[in-house]
Amino acid sequence: MARHLEIAVIDDDESFRVALVESLSSLGYGSSGYASAEDYVRLIGSNAVNCVVSDIHMPGMSGLDLMKHLAAQGTTTPVVLITARSDANLEAKAAVAGAVCLLRKPFEINELIGCIEGAVKD
Amino acid sequence: MALREQDLVLSSLPPSRTQQQLALSVALLIVLMALLISITGMQQVKLAVIDALVPLFGMAMFVSDSITAVLLFTQFSIVRSRALLVISSGFVWTALVVIPWLLSFPGVFAPHGLLGGSSSEITVWLYTLWHAGFPIFVIAFALLKDAQPAKRLRQLPAATAILSCIVGSAAVIAGATYVLVVFQAHLPSFMIDAMNFSVLWYYTAAIIALLSALAISLLWIRRKSLLDLWLMVVMLVFLTEVLISSFPVSARFSLGWYAGRTCSLLSGSLILIVLLYEITIVYARLIGAVRAQSRERGARLITGDAVAATIAHEIKQPLSTIITRAETGLRWLDRASPEIDKAKEQFAEIVANGRRAGAVMDGIRGNFKKDPRIRTWLDVNVLIEETLTLVHGDLQQHRILVRTEPHAGLPQIMGDRIQLQQVLLNLITNAIEAMAGKQGLRVLGVRSEVGKEGNVVVSVADTGKGIQSQEIDQIFNPLFTTKPDGMGMGLSICRSIVESHDGSLLVFPNSPEGAVFQMVLHASTTTALASV
Repeated sequence: MARHLEIAVIDDDESFRVALVESLSSLGYGSSGYASAEDYVRLIGSNAVNCVVSDIHMPGMSGLDLMKHLAAQGTTTPVVLITARSDANLEAKAAVAGAVCLLRKPFEINELIGCIEGAVKD
Repeated sequence: MALREQDLVLSSLPPSRTQQQLALSVALLIVLMALLISITGMQQVKLAVIDALVPLFGMAMFVSDSITAVLLFTQFSIVRSRALLVISSGFVWTALVVIPWLLSFPGVFAPHGLLGGSSSEITVWLYTLWHAGFPIFVIAFALLKDAQPAKRLRQLPAATAILSCIVGSAAVIAGATYVLVVFQAHLPSFMIDAMNFSVLWYYTAAIIALLSALAISLLWIRRKSLLDLWLMVVMLVFLTEVLISSFPVSARFSLGWYAGRTCSLLSGSLILIVLLYEITIVYARLIGAVRAQSRERGARLITGDAVAATIAHEIKQPLSTIITRAETGLRWLDRASPEIDKAKEQFAEIVANGRRAGAVMDGIRGNFKKDPRIRTWLDVNVLIEETLTLVHGDLQQHRILVRTEPHAGLPQIMGDRIQLQQVLLNLITNAIEAMAGKQGLRVLGVRSEVGKEGNVVVSVADTGKGIQSQEIDQIFNPLFTTKPDGMGMGLSICRSIVESHDGSLLVFPNSPEGAVFQMVLHASTTTALASV
């Protein structure tokens, strides 16, 4: 592990969120979970993270809404989107929104790490 | 939109309020005009003799009454009511009797007419046949219209019935004309001279008026449909015609006589206009129904896709957790000094999420077993017929011949109508797709029969490319598909539905080519249940 990164995990599915946070921790990353995009926006405050991993489809603010919100605030934190849906046009939507990657569940942790490390270059 | 048969059959269509008001206004307008002409004494005013008007009028009557007859005969061929046959014949009668009437009219084809020799008596006799004949047909219609269609008439081909009516009417008119021509010297006289009528005519006109009045009252008493309503108006116009052209004085080419001819034209075309209008409306309604049906079908197929997508989503959630946990567990174990306890935590979570995936599956299965109350008794043959209607467009588009062999004595089964229809729709759609890309004969065979132990067996057979023997074993697997854009859920969902009905779904090769899907539904056990 070359460097320490803080990663926020946003997913309304608790079991997956906890699993992902524990997985990232076991790899030596600093990781915190949020049950909704609203929670993330409210709690994160000035403690900026290095990367956000967010589910797309959530009740309330979606992953894409969150990206718009962050962009409006001028935040440049890279975002990796994840989804369990099979809709074909999600890649395009994610790319337009400026997401680093779109990963379809189930994915391997190495794919996610590749995306995160690629996004946080410096 | 549910379209009932009686909404499509004009002879049984009830008149709407607007139509009743319109009919009443037309009737009132005509009676008022006639009264005005009568009371002011204008009826007797002599107008110019326009000889060309008579053949024009005759041709118009012939054409409009013939078309009306054709339209009414078409209605008869649908509902086979004796009353409709009678009223159609009435219009055939008025159309055909115009021919000798025109031939005999003085000054049309010859100065004294072609048939009448030196007198124009025959013209009046033919006019009497025409105008006394039609009310009699209407009276017969009114008396017959509530009767149940006779069994004999149902078995008789419609064309035979229609043809015999036309031939019969033509024969009677030809015979009567012949008799009139031969015996014209011995006939009582209707005319005083070429223009004015004798007393006999006034009695005859009174009889025609009475017949029309009788027809109106019979129609009024037994009125029900749109056709009844407008026939009443027609008879009223008929009555007005006879009165206005005969009373107080009857003379050719008087204002009254011209008014009478106008009424005649009106009565001839009224039913025609109403029929054409109503046919267009019914046609529009049919198009609406067909569109609604295809929309309904589209909605059902989309639902299938949506259900499959939801299932996929629900399964992927615990699956993703399991994979991530397993990877983490492996990593804890993979260290120089393995962290056994942390790995154990991960495995415990894997077990919990495996259980969660199982619960999702049970939930889906539970959906198929839901509320037994929506199960109803249903006739599989009706279900087959309805499903084929849904795919009618596809079948035509791909030029597929449909052979249905419904078993007449099929016992009813207890089942979920929508689900079973989805199965049939799926099997038939698959069959269509299997045949669509193939040359040669395309036959879809759908048959129902009573199998062993009184089971209801439905077979859907196609002459498509068939199923490879190595594919037969996996064809019901959820992920198996031979279609480039298919997801393979169709047949596996079909099998789940049939199995939730305690039935079975089988497949075997069709001979000489294609495949047969067979749905076996247990009728005997459910029948026993119902009798408890």
